[in-house]
Amino acid sequence: MQPILRRSLFAMILLTGLVWIFISADRTNSATAGRIPAPQKGFLAPEFKLETSDSQSISLTDYRGKAVLVNLWATWCPPCRTEMPIIEKVYQGYQDQGLIVLGVNSTNQDDPTAVTPFVKQYGITFPILLDVNGEAASLYELRSLPTSFFIGRDGIIKEVVVGSMSEALLRANIEEIIK
Amino acid sequence: MNILSLFQNVFAPPRDLILIILAAWVGLTLSEKRAPLHRVNLDSLSNLLLVSMIGFVVSGRVLYALENLSIFAQSPASIFSLNTDLFDQWSGLAIAVVTAFAYGRRAHLPLWPSLDTLTPLFATLAIGIAFSHLASGLAFGKETNVPWAIDQWGALRHPTQIYEIIASILTLVLILIQKPIAKPGFEFLLFVALTSASRLVIEGFRGDSTLILGGFRAAQIAAWPILFAALASIDYQKRLGHEKE
Repeated sequence: MQPILRRSLFAMILLTGLVWIFISADRTNSATAGRIPAPQKGFLAPEFKLETSDSQSISLTDYRGKAVLVNLWATWCPPCRTEMPIIEKVYQGYQDQGLIVLGVNSTNQDDPTAVTPFVKQYGITFPILLDVNGEAASLYELRSLPTSFFIGRDGIIKEVVVGSMSEALLRANIEEIIK
Repeated sequence: MNILSLFQNVFAPPRDLILIILAAWVGLTLSEKRAPLHRVNLDSLSNLLLVSMIGFVVSGRVLYALENLSIFAQSPASIFSLNTDLFDQWSGLAIAVVTAFAYGRRAHLPLWPSLDTLTPLFATLAIGIAFSHLASGLAFGKETNVPWAIDQWGALRHPTQIYEIIASILTLVLILIQKPIAKPGFEFLLFVALTSASRLVIEGFRGDSTLILGGFRAAQIAAWPILFAALASIDYQKRLGHEKE
């Protein structure tokens, strides 16, 4: 290719790039993240209402304005068993700062009779909700257990962690949502 | 269940990392095959990759720990945690590049032929990252009514991850069909130009862009000067070659 042709082509590519930057600028901030509910970082946390084993009804909206950790788990899941004592330990340290932990048991794929002994065995003090029909699992597009959603005071998901969390990861994410 | 849902279920995070590891393996194989064409010592290049990978992993974790010192002080054992989230990837990458340059100089590896040899690895990694975006739902598109829109995160959206896959595959093909010409650095510069150009275009369809003043997309603002530099370097290289002839 002749140098003049090549430079003209390059100049045209760069000019088109500049024009595209101007055309595709998002001046109205049309991004829907933060406005519609979806189980992804940056989106509103999907609303759910579930019952605890003692038939107390708990809704996520009850905690709007607070930092919330929603942890989906099951008794048969080894990584869930590994992280549960860590979550309890960290919860004890942060509950005075307004942290709410909601442990959502995937009851539709668990043995319901195993939940209460599990809670006693690990000395869990935060509310355990029973997802009997898989409503929360469906809303949060659960694909692996455990999965944790860190929700800020504005109701927006700040982080999603799939798999067992170490204490440092748990603390780092909680520090972000209780700000 | 459609193919996309099946793919997203099979490679849901953290299994999406398998796609990047697979891409790295294919990319390394391609790069190894092209090393003799660029007259680069394969053993030295393999050592360079190993050293920079160690630099990436160790510095990424250590720098993250230093940034969150108060947290790690309460649970020091977490420094050895398998959680990939406890990682500063950009700092790790910066250290990996510095380590690679330092090792390359020490091992007398020629800069441009080495970069050319590694270009198929970079291009294949870009494909792996695009597939991992599709699996995890990250790098999602903005809302649209185009017939090929996909239902994602509560809305019909541009399938930006699929655009990314197509662009990165085309980039790899364009690189692989290049003859190893006597212009060291051309394949690498072509990769940089094509990757920055595709980022510039695809970013305009993203629904998760970081916006700066005036609603401009930060990634596009960063990609344009990179594209400019790559095209200017290709032009300079061609001009030099022309003068020599």
